[in-house]
Amino acid sequence: MSVGDILFWIVGLTTALCAVMVVVTQHIVRCAIWLLFTLAGTAGLFFLLGLDFLGATQLFVYVGGTLVLVIFGVMLTATGPFIQLRAGAGEWAIAIIVGLLLYGLIALSWLFADWSKLPGSALPDDPRRMYHTEQLGRALLGDTSVQPSSVLPGVSGSRAAADKASGKLPEPPKRQASAFLLPFEIVSVHLLVVLIGAAYLARAKRKRVVMAPRESL
Amino acid sequence: MGNVGLTQYLLIGAVLFVSGVVCMAIKRNAIGVLMGVELVLNGATVNFAAFARFHEAFRVEGQIFALFTIVLAAAEAAIALAIVLNFYNNYLTVDVDSAEELKG
Amino acid sequence: MLENPGWLFVGATLLPLASFLVLFIGGKHWGRAAGWIATAAIGAAFVLSLIGAALYLPYSGLFAHHHHDHHHVAGHEKHPHHHGQAQKSSHEHSHEHVTLAQREPGVPPWQAGLIWARVSTGGPGQATALRLGFYVDGLTVAMFVMITLVATLIHIFSTGYMAEELQVEVHDHQSHVVRAGRYPRFFTYMSLFCFSMLNLVLADNLFQIFISWELVGICSYLLIGYYYERRSASNAANKAFITNRVGDAGFIIGAAILWTYCGTLTLHDTVREQKNAEGQLVRVVEPGLFSRLRMPATDSHGTPLPGQLDEYIGNFARVEPILARGSSDAVTRYRFSSSGPYVLLFTTDHFHGEDLVLDDGISASTSPSATGLSVMPYWALVLAGVGVFLGCVGKSAQFPLHVWLPDAMEGPTPVSALIHAATMVAAGVYLVGRAFPMFTPEVLLLIAYVGAITLFVAATIALVQTDIKKVLAYSTVSQLGFMMLALGVGGWIAGLFHLLTHAFFKALLFLGSGSVIHGCHHEQDMMKMGGLYDKMKITALTMLVGVLAIAGAPLFSGWYSKDAIMVSALAFVVHYPQHMLLFLLPLITVAMTAFYMFRLWYLTFTGEPRDEHVYEHAHESPAVMTVPLIVLAFFSVTVAWGWPPWDAHASALEHYLDHEMPIYLHPDPDNRQVDKFLAPVRKYAEQPEAFPNVQLPEPHALAGLLALLSAGIGFLLATTIYYWGYLDPEGTRQQFARVYDFLWEKWHFDELYRWIAVRPALVLARVCRWFDLNVIDGLVDGSARATVRVSQWDGKFDLGIIDGLVNLTADVIYAVGAWLRNVQTGFLRNYVLFLALAAVGIFALVSYILALVG
Repeated sequence: MSVGDILFWIVGLTTALCAVMVVVTQHIVRCAIWLLFTLAGTAGLFFLLGLDFLGATQLFVYVGGTLVLVIFGVMLTATGPFIQLRAGAGEWAIAIIVGLLLYGLIALSWLFADWSKLPGSALPDDPRRMYHTEQLGRALLGDTSVQPSSVLPGVSGSRAAADKASGKLPEPPKRQASAFLLPFEIVSVHLLVVLIGAAYLARAKRKRVVMAPRESL
Repeated sequence: MGNVGLTQYLLIGAVLFVSGVVCMAIKRNAIGVLMGVELVLNGATVNFAAFARFHEAFRVEGQIFALFTIVLAAAEAAIALAIVLNFYNNYLTVDVDSAEELKG
Repeated sequence: MLENPGWLFVGATLLPLASFLVLFIGGKHWGRAAGWIATAAIGAAFVLSLIGAALYLPYSGLFAHHHHDHHHVAGHEKHPHHHGQAQKSSHEHSHEHVTLAQREPGVPPWQAGLIWARVSTGGPGQATALRLGFYVDGLTVAMFVMITLVATLIHIFSTGYMAEELQVEVHDHQSHVVRAGRYPRFFTYMSLFCFSMLNLVLADNLFQIFISWELVGICSYLLIGYYYERRSASNAANKAFITNRVGDAGFIIGAAILWTYCGTLTLHDTVREQKNAEGQLVRVVEPGLFSRLRMPATDSHGTPLPGQLDEYIGNFARVEPILARGSSDAVTRYRFSSSGPYVLLFTTDHFHGEDLVLDDGISASTSPSATGLSVMPYWALVLAGVGVFLGCVGKSAQFPLHVWLPDAMEGPTPVSALIHAATMVAAGVYLVGRAFPMFTPEVLLLIAYVGAITLFVAATIALVQTDIKKVLAYSTVSQLGFMMLALGVGGWIAGLFHLLTHAFFKALLFLGSGSVIHGCHHEQDMMKMGGLYDKMKITALTMLVGVLAIAGAPLFSGWYSKDAIMVSALAFVVHYPQHMLLFLLPLITVAMTAFYMFRLWYLTFTGEPRDEHVYEHAHESPAVMTVPLIVLAFFSVTVAWGWPPWDAHASALEHYLDHEMPIYLHPDPDNRQVDKFLAPVRKYAEQPEAFPNVQLPEPHALAGLLALLSAGIGFLLATTIYYWGYLDPEGTRQQFARVYDFLWEKWHFDELYRWIAVRPALVLARVCRWFDLNVIDGLVDGSARATVRVSQWDGKFDLGIIDGLVNLTADVIYAVGAWLRNVQTGFLRNYVLFLALAAVGIFALVSYILALVG
């Protein structure tokens, strides 16, 4: 077991445990804290996978943005008795059973799946072959000549260069990179619409129309 | 256990996903339900990322879609919170069980 | 030493019979002495079995060669099919005439027998004989030791438990009848019961097994109906007897088919001494069923069969008739074909391997008239297998004939222990294991599915029972399902291994529950117990051992055998993925087993006393009852141990059984006689490294881990609900009122049988009565009346059928709509659950269909 593997098990199991704690915890504020750890743990997984841009985004958007938003929501709505709303024993039991079934199904299909039937080949165990920020940006813009970076940020250039010179780092096969410009634009517009919609929904309260009792009319 | 590979990451992703589903099913607090949705989306993101790392065919797509998912999750959180606030304004509670007008 | 130690086992069988005869003739007024006679008889039988086992041990797998190479050697030594005991010499001089082989005295399998009736089948000179004989191999030895040990302990326990029957007048607390005590009668029946079971295990032919089979049935009838003043007890006895008749009908049909086509009911080959023309004594090997049905590796002269037949060696040699034009022997020529409608039947003498392959351009064909072999239709063989299995379904209380076993709780608790642990229900599983080589792949699949359904259905019912004995009864049904499943998927060792370990912990659990019931003055409802731990510590602790063993806690005997079953099931579904259910159902059921067993223990022994009256009077049982409990608890833990104990697959008992496996299941590369349906499964279970393209972890590790995980979940759920009280069982019950009622009513099997069996009989009677009244009388009364009646019927038809159909359609649609309305709960969270459940369901369905197609 390499150091990377041990790290994966530590980070992965912590993440999974925190996710379970989100479910189990009754107090909504504590829930939010567990969620924070889960999201941070996921970012850690991305880093372990060598997807540094994705991990950074996860930290920025999720931990920095979404979670703060959620905590805002908690603070705005958490009044006395509503902080702890408990589900019944039966609901717990059935939810746990359905959850276990679902997990069993997914886990079994993962275990039985034959990945070698996927198009393309499995990548060698070398995080330096990942796409990093620059290549991702170019892929988004439709640049089809994207190649994986040979230099991993944080790995000294000399070593990577030495690897490349000595041919230890094989050139990846040429492939047509997809252009993601259109989806990117669609997502941008979507985000804009959503933000406007959210602002509209959550804006200061409209005048509440109180229906007068019929008799008084 | 063996070497850490695609399957191990997928299994962790599945834990997140199932936790999210159970969370949605069990929390009576609307914000709790929202957290469940976040967990589900996170599970999906981990899967995308794992495929991006371990499989040639998803090298770019995996990452791009993971990014899209994160963005979508942010948008979803914003709109969902707006809905929760509105719900709170109307019902003076965040208990989703009190919204049952759709009962058949 | 004894020339044939098999007679020791005959002695062990006859001792309980002697005890029965003595008690039956004179024991009516002997009181306590009757109990001691019966106990002494079965105890002596146990000692004899132990001596026999000690004599057998040097030949068993434990002291033979290394695990893998002894398979081969053992296979030849143990299976004198086709070539008597001369296998060793035939290796050196393979063309010797081997039917004259000498059999070394004292080397197992020990067998002997006599013929007590001769029946002609009508064929030319084909008189066949009904035999009374014994066949003792390692399986017999293990079964003997287990049965006699458990039965002895149960006898000792009974001398305490049945003590109140010693009184001159007994007040039956259920039927409120004052009757004479009948202590000796109980032990009379128990002795007969033990004799029947031992004889069943000892028998070397299906007919003798059937006799014991029926004896076991009648003993269970007598003992279940022991308190026959109670209506429920006599009903239960009837139910057990009648339900078993259904299965036995299948058994006798199966036996009749085999008798008709094979001309013998002996399972293994028998060696018989006969005088030849010169007056010398020669030994003649007569073929048993197995060597008639499965193609041998060598012909009767020791010559290996031609290579073209490799596909069929060790399997059923299926052939199809060749319709050659213009040839006079058209009907007597057959071609080998893996889907042929006939099966070739072999003999042990006078057939030559080269006769099987006639060279006329067709690759492999034969003419039975040339070889002296005969054929039987394949469907008849399947039907015979199904029939024999149906008998086992009845005896071992498998779905759909499981309904009698829970009702059998009406008998005294030691009887329940004896029936459930060592005798009656074990008979079915034992027979499936014994007759294993005669089952075709179709029958094996049927066995596996019946087992899987049984184990699941019974476990779900056990979840909600509140009668302490009913929970144990359903757990027995479920565990028997595990054994059948294991046998069906080729886990011959696993199934019988579980049979042996289960006997100990199930006897322990039943005697423990008997001790509780005895201590609580015949209170069986767990809802009225609770907190009994302080009052009866020994019972509680020994029962905890039993609970841990049945739940499959590591280092307890149940862990080893359940592990073996799960490995077999996993190996099977990896090879036949369309039968995925055969792994998933037991996996889920392992969790349910742990749940209901710990529920039983927590409800009985922990928490607050729920009924002051019961609690006040509860007391620990006398030593004569607790000592058997402690002994059984000891064996429940250690019976499966090997070295090292923490290795689930180092069990000495399992390795012992490994040696006894039918040769058709040995996956050795140099064994030509492997069963083509199960061989890859066995090979994968034992040597997974030979299958590099299967993308799964090692089956032992994976199945063991999953089973342990599943049991852990069940244990945690039970502890959460019944020990910590974190979840409220009452609330949960109301939440699932429908499901709860369904399980409480035992899946409505009793109602179902009332509808399909009892009601039709009554309806038929009414129809006859109607026929009498209306048709016969109507004819007499003349046509005018008939005309009136016809028009009346017409009116009824209009009103009842036509209008009824219209109304029915509307009603059904309305009811469906009203029911579907419930699904729309309006609760957001329920919709999420429905979604998840639907995802699981659709995915499972699609993958199942895909597996079926591909």
